[in-house]
Amino acid sequence: MTVILNALSAALILAGAFFFLAGTVGLLRFPDVYTRLHALTKADNLGLGLVVLGLLLQVESLSEGVKLLVIWGLVLAAGATAAHLVARTALEHDIRLWRRRE
Amino acid sequence: MSAEWFGWIFDILLALALPVLAWRVLITRNLYQAVILFVAFGLLMALAWVRLEAPDVALAEAAIGAGITGVLFLDALGYLRDRRRGGEADERG
Amino acid sequence: MSGLYLGVASFLLLTIVVGLIRIVRGPTPADRILAAQLFGTTGVAALLLLAQGVSSPPLRDVALVLALLAAFAAAAFVRRAWTGGEE
Repeated sequence: MTVILNALSAALILAGAFFFLAGTVGLLRFPDVYTRLHALTKADNLGLGLVVLGLLLQVESLSEGVKLLVIWGLVLAAGATAAHLVARTALEHDIRLWRRRE
Repeated sequence: MSAEWFGWIFDILLALALPVLAWRVLITRNLYQAVILFVAFGLLMALAWVRLEAPDVALAEAAIGAGITGVLFLDALGYLRDRRRGGEADERG
Repeated sequence: MSGLYLGVASFLLLTIVVGLIRIVRGPTPADRILAAQLFGTTGVAALLLLAQGVSSPPLRDVALVLALLAAFAAAAFVRRAWTGGEE
């Protein structure tokens, strides 16, 4: 049972790490603010979410698990707030949307 | 064994990144960029305190260095910009 | 297992260091604050993995504080210090 739990937890954590890698690559390679925002929110929500899920399988007490979930919830709220604020203000300040060149 | 090895990699990465980042904060002429680099520096510094087995100091660094100071600096920049605009308006008026 | 935790934490630190390029290059202030936002989340994940890897529960509180303050910098930036388009 422990072996299965460990393997599952490792798989979830590695999947989370992959999303953080994808977020960083997106941040570096995407062409404008809005597409970078898209890459970033995936890393925020899914990357940390999968890491937290992987660590949840290893917790020893209820309070630890609740703390992990609270951290995830806080990051979700913070990420959503920041993404909306940045996107709306970028539009208000006329930062141009990227268009593929024909 | 491998845990120790990865611990070393973590420490070496931190030790390389922190001085470079501190140098960039000092030489950057763009104030907004410097503030955001400073926030990133505070984050890495918190990780360094964690590696030095001082979680209480890391807690303070995360709250003060990466959180509050960054917000105060950004607010100060906004205030400076408002002042500058106000000054120009006065000169024109 | 602790090797895996520390290994993934090191990898996350590496993504932070690589992401610094975006802060330096910009071009708009919004790109820089987005990079800082990503660093905050990555730092939280790295701290949680470290807490498990070196079995030191207080580190979770550091991650909690970091998560709590993550939105503040972006909000302060947007409300107070936004300068507009490209520099």
